[in-house]
Formats: sequence, C-alpha cells, structure tokens
Amino acid sequence: MVMSNSIKIKSKKISVFYGDKKALDSINLEIPEKKVTSLIGPSGCGKSTFLRCLNRMNDTIDICRIEGKILIDEKNIYEKGLDPVLLRARIGMVFQKPNPFPKSIFDNVAYGPKIHGIVNSEDELNDLVKDSLKKAGLYNEVKDRLDEPGTSLSGGQQQRLCIARAIAVSPEVILMDEPCSALDPIATAIIEELIDELAKNFTIVIVTHSMQQAARVSQQTAFFHMGNLIEVGKTEEIFSMPKQVKTQDYITGKIG
Amino acid sequence: MTNITEKIKLSLSKRQRSEKRFKFLGFIGISFAILFLIIILYSIFSQGQSAFKSTYIELNIFFDEKIIDVEGKRDIEDIKFANFRKIITNSLDNYFPEVEKREEKRKLHEFISSSEEKNLMNLVLSDQELIGKSKQLWLLASSTIDVIHKNPEMEEIVESDRLVDDLELSWFKTFKENGNLKFGFNKNFFSKADSTEPEQAGVLGSMLGSFFTLLITLILSFPIAVAAGVFLEELAPKNRFTDFIEVNINNLAAVPSIIFGLLGLAIFLNVMHLPRSAPIVGGMVLALMTLPTIIIATRASLKAVPPSIREAAIGLGATKFQTVNHHVLPLSMPGILTGTIIGMSQALGESAPLLMIGMVAFIVDIPGSFTDSATVLPVQIYLWKSTAARGFLELTAAGVMVLLTFLILMNGLAVFVRQKFEKKW
Repeated sequence: MVMSNSIKIKSKKISVFYGDKKALDSINLEIPEKKVTSLIGPSGCGKSTFLRCLNRMNDTIDICRIEGKILIDEKNIYEKGLDPVLLRARIGMVFQKPNPFPKSIFDNVAYGPKIHGIVNSEDELNDLVKDSLKKAGLYNEVKDRLDEPGTSLSGGQQQRLCIARAIAVSPEVILMDEPCSALDPIATAIIEELIDELAKNFTIVIVTHSMQQAARVSQQTAFFHMGNLIEVGKTEEIFSMPKQVKTQDYITGKIG
Repeated sequence: MTNITEKIKLSLSKRQRSEKRFKFLGFIGISFAILFLIIILYSIFSQGQSAFKSTYIELNIFFDEKIIDVEGKRDIEDIKFANFRKIITNSLDNYFPEVEKREEKRKLHEFISSSEEKNLMNLVLSDQELIGKSKQLWLLASSTIDVIHKNPEMEEIVESDRLVDDLELSWFKTFKENGNLKFGFNKNFFSKADSTEPEQAGVLGSMLGSFFTLLITLILSFPIAVAAGVFLEELAPKNRFTDFIEVNINNLAAVPSIIFGLLGLAIFLNVMHLPRSAPIVGGMVLALMTLPTIIIATRASLKAVPPSIREAAIGLGATKFQTVNHHVLPLSMPGILTGTIIGMSQALGESAPLLMIGMVAFIVDIPGSFTDSATVLPVQIYLWKSTAARGFLELTAAGVMVLLTFLILMNGLAVFVRQKFEKKW
C-alpha cells in the first residue's frame, strides 16, 4: 500500500486476549499521519478493541492481555517504563456515548489542560477553552452559557463538547469509537464535517458501523472480521474493488 | 387467530385475579406495619409526655437568719454550708401546724425534692437581702407527689396498694384545695444527668454522652471506611485476596454488635488501658461496628457511577487517583453520606456493645470531654426502665421520645443530603 504521507502509527503483530478468549489475532496495520483511518466490520470483530490498544485503554481491564508492539513515531507504546498517562495526553479519545463530566461546559474543556499543567494563567486557560470549543465547532452555540452543565446540551452538542475536551490537550492522534452512533442524522453530519476539518491538524482513527460514514470521512479503511484484519487500503478502493471475498460480502451486506 | 384471542381472554381473568390478590396482600402488610407503628408511638407518647412537666408546691419560705447565717457576717462560705433543708422543713411544719409526731413530720418533709435545697442556697447567694425575710416560692415536689398528681385515679386505690398513705394523701389534697399545687415545665429533664430521684433525673448527661461517642465514631469510621471502599472498588486488583476481604467485610456487617463490645473490652480496655465508661472507647467500638456499613455503602455508590465518566477521565490522561478524586468520588458522595448517616443512626441506637465497656454505669455528672465517664441515650433508657421507682416509668418513655427525635432528624438529614447533592447526568 502506498501512501504519500508519513506513517504515524504502526501496529506490529498485536494480539489481544480477554482471559482465554483471543479478541485480536496478530494485527499489522499502518495509520498515516493527518489522515482519517476508519475501522469497519461487524459487531464483535475487534475493531473497538484495536482502537483501545492505541491509547492503552485496555490496560484498565484486569483480564485483558496484549501481545505485540504498537509504534507511534517509531516508539513502542507498550515498552516497559512508558507511562500510559503521558500516552493518553498525546492520544485523545472520543467515546460512543457522549460522556461529558457533570460539570460546567467550561470545566469540561478545562479539565485536561488543568490536570496536565499545560496552562500557566487563568487568561491562557480561557483562551485555550475558547479555542478548543471553536475548533470543535461548538463555540457559537455555547459562548453565552459556559457555566451551564455540559450535560444540559443536546446529544450532538455533547459529543462536540467531548471532542473539544479531547483537543484541548493538543493531542497528536484522536481516536473515535463510533462517535455518531447515538446521534441523529443532522448531528452526525455536523460531526462528520468536523472530522474533515480536524484531519488537517490531527491523525484520526475512527471506528464506525456505518459504511457510508467510513466512505464519507476517511481516506484509509481497514476491515476487521472475527479478530482478524482482512483488508486495508484506500477507502475508495475498499468500497469499489475490494480484493478479499469477505470484504466484498460485508460491504454488500452479505455478512455483518 | 380468534382462537388465540379467546385463549388470552381466558388467561387474562386469572392473571387479573392473581394481581388483585397480590395487591391485597401488600395492603394487609402495610396496614399491619402502620397499626403497630401507631400502637408503639401512642404508648410512648401517652406515657412520655407527662415527663415533661413536674409538680410544684407553693410554700411561704422564711429565710431564717439563725439558720442561714448564725454569726451574722454574711460570709459566703457560711451560707453555702447552711442547713437549707431546715428552712424547707420549717415552712412545711408551719403549713401543717397540727402535725407533731416525729414519724409523721418525716413523711411531710419528703414532699419537697431535695434538689430545692441547692436552689434556695443559690437564691440567697444571689440576693442576700432575702435573709431574715419571707417569700412565697414554688418548690419542686418529690417524685411520689408528682406521680399522685399526674395520676388522680391513684387516690381511689386502697391505702395498702397506694404509693402514699391516707395521711400523706390528706396533706396532698389540702395543698391542692388551697391552690398551692401546680404543674410546671420539668427543667431538670433537659439540664441534668441521671439521679436516684426521678424528679431530679435528666437526659442531658446521656445526650452529651451520645454526642461525644458519635463524634468519635464519625471521625474514625468515615475517613477509614471511605478510603477502604475506594481502595477496594477502584484501585485494588481483583484477586482471591481482595475477594476474601470483600466476603469478610460483608460478614462483619452482620456480626452481632455485642461482639464488637467484647472486642473493645479485650483490646481497648485490657490491652490499651483506655479509660472505662468513656465516650472515646464507646466511639471506637461503635466505629468498628459502623465501618462495614459505610464501606458497603461507599462501594455501592462507587459502582453506581457510570463507567463512561471513568473512561472520559482516563482517556484524557487523568491518573487513577485523579479520576477517582475529581469525578467518581464527588458523584458518589450523596450515596456515601446517606450510608454514613444511616450507619451513625444505627450507632446512636446501639446499647449492647457499650454495656461491655462500662458505659452502663450510674453517672450523675454531665460529661465534659471524651474521657469523662458517660452513658448514652439508649443505655440511659435501659437504666431507667430497670429502676423500680414509679417516677422512672414516664422518664423511660420520654427518653425514648428524645432518642426517636434524634433518629428522625438524622434520617431526615440523610434524605435531604441525597436530594440536595445528587447530580443528574
């Protein structure tokens, strides 16, 4: 596979086990910088598990065991001595269900910068929050009510608040785990536009159930099936002329 | 198709009958609960309310200089040691000049509570002008007179079964007919500790004892239990050892409280040599008893925080401790506080473990610190209930009323905390 851009993340023989059950089998995948890569596949295929390997969210699950390497900028994130806290500051995450903290809109966005000590002054923090909300396309809607609880927003707004919260710590990569599955079509369209916009500055990996969404937002698509990476390639190629039969079956709706 | 509808219709009437039966059973259950609640409350209130008033007798008190200040120097020390009993008995003798036999006089003199001697002394000390003068004063009657006054039907009982004999009853009636007998507020009940005389016994001593004890319980159990709950739920690895601890904590919550008292006796008193009968030890014992309750409440409320909040914080790069401290713990605080208050009100009503460490002693002084000898409300109720004198009967009921009031207040606080601080998401 030839990509004009440099590679941000390389996964090398990543296998994941939940107890005795193998959830991912030796995945090799390269993710290009400042592009959108979408992970598709039927439920339980391991695409979310793979996504959560990229910022070591699986570490929080006791019975989860991971083998293999993930290189980000050529450095293995599973290396001993590497602090997952630092890693997660570099790799932001947006979840399936909007999950703002039950705090004010301002505090939601300010939380990351605060705990990491990124800002030095109140003014700097104000600017950063404003800037992050603008980048997430939410600022105009909430500028007059920053002290209202984040949970008072609509679902789509909440999800953009979560995106603003993630980009406030200036991550290099943003992981999105089915960010639109709980949203209506209009809110989904807004988020998809936002993803396009964000891809100028961030490397984005998005898990999605919707093949149309993958086709719309991503430049690269990886198809997972039963813990295996079946096929990866440029999005238009995957959807127009897949090389594997299983991919063909999935995108035509025969499996899934 | 119609066949199926018919079948559903047939089963429907049966299902509706069983639903009605279930509702009826529930209604019976609730009715029984309410009935018994009313019976209990009625018996307590009907007995207890009379404890809040006491009988006072009006007498013309002559502050005889020959008794109060023999040397005429107005020396405070002299006045303090004067025989004020004599002042009271003299005025009683004046009221009934016809009583002459020593035995009869002794009976008459017992009409007035001995606590009035000290009150008269304080009166004279505050106003020395009174010496040598007479004054009409309402004095607290002794408990026997109080009981007769509160229960007029007792006057009809035959003499041998009555608290007072015919002569005493005639004096009582004289006081009553002359308008020298009245009910007043029972000041002693809220300002004194225990006493051998019912009219002088109060609930303040045991209230303060309960307060000091519960303060120690709260200070010890809340931080330890919350820390333990957070550690077990959020930080500890899930393995056999933590499973073992969890099972044991759940078992501890079901251990009879008297066992904790025995533990306190064995360790706090016999090994650590802490003071006997003291709120500090009582508080430590009750803290042991309350710990499992708060730990379980803490873990339950931590579990109730949606995992998405944890994921959000961890995904942003918060450490485990920051996640718990900034998000999970504040969200679960209403539940933890409710559990704590429930645990504390359990501790407030507890008496068995405190008997083991000597908080059952008869204590006349009002405790002023954590190491003073003290007793607590439920134990005071138990002590009064097991005392023979008739006047303690209503004190027992009044003590229960005070205890119930505090329990209702605490449970009300729990409801308030829950509603006020619960966040919606």
